[in-house]
Amino acid sequence: MSAYWPWWAGALGLAAVTVFYTLTTDRSLGLSGAWDRILHWREEREIERMDEALADDDALAEALAQATAAEFGTVPARSGSLPAAPVPTAERPEPQPAVPARPAPLVTQAALIVSTVIGGLIAALVSGRFQVRFDMGEGFRQLVTGNPIGMIVILFAGGVLVGFGTRLAGGCSSGHGLSGCGRLRPVSFLATAVFFGTAVAVSFLLWKVV
Amino acid sequence: MVRTRGGFLLVAILAGLVLGFTLSMIGFGDFAQLNAMFTFQDLRMLFAFAGAVGLIAVTFLLLRVRRGTSRIHAGVVPGAILFGAGWAVSGGCPGIPLVQISTGYLPAVFTIAGVAVGIRMCRWANGRFFHLDRGSCGL
Repeated sequence: MSAYWPWWAGALGLAAVTVFYTLTTDRSLGLSGAWDRILHWREEREIERMDEALADDDALAEALAQATAAEFGTVPARSGSLPAAPVPTAERPEPQPAVPARPAPLVTQAALIVSTVIGGLIAALVSGRFQVRFDMGEGFRQLVTGNPIGMIVILFAGGVLVGFGTRLAGGCSSGHGLSGCGRLRPVSFLATAVFFGTAVAVSFLLWKVV
Repeated sequence: MVRTRGGFLLVAILAGLVLGFTLSMIGFGDFAQLNAMFTFQDLRMLFAFAGAVGLIAVTFLLLRVRRGTSRIHAGVVPGAILFGAGWAVSGGCPGIPLVQISTGYLPAVFTIAGVAVGIRMCRWANGRFFHLDRGSCGL
């Protein structure tokens, strides 16, 4: 069995994945978001179908013009032309960043999850760590519990906290931690500081008290 | 940038393969390593994560990658507290149980089941009770 990677190799690997995914897709890499959409695939498929129906740019521009006209009671401008009345420079809002029109296709998020399992399997086989076990290892037995029923209950309950918490916070260690902090987003710094801080406190409790 | 669904699929598969491989090689699937990181007994994995954030930030700054929306919504702090607690006891941030399974830790299926239940509960409960904007991370 080979040793775990040194820190710089891990940093390079994680950074490479995040940068590669972001630059090629113009979206943030986020596993909890991927899970969320796969687990709500019925709703997400419906949204994708509606998006595909609107994919025709002309139809979208027409619909937007109509909606604007309905909102402001003006005659819709011909699609494709710029607004006639220029906004005074001083009052012009900050240019909005080009937000991707649509979320990543659902099938790609499923592929992301499946290939993460395969990537982990390759690593386990290459490093000689692969071993089928019915426990979570010596560390878990010592720090949390050695009781099989207790282990199942804690893993499940912990999983519920992770699932609920990541979606409430809007991201996990990949979405907020890597992508969000990498983009220097304050909300991601806050989320990362809070989930890391909580994990530190709970881990000390497990280590020193339980 | 990828334009087609097939190209996107290829990118997702490659990203997942490298992500799973890297997470496993760092040792994130190993509960003892994780606890050692969170209790600062072993800073190796912490440096791997922080180093990755630093590399990503520098690359994004150089390439002028957009920052995206950054509103701090009401779910951030409570959600992050629940997530941090769950991660410390189960060892699973949503990607880790996948790597644990592929290392042979079969009970991680219960973590994944819990994550699935929690994610579905969140969307359901938010739509019904909280009505918080949960941000759009991961889209």
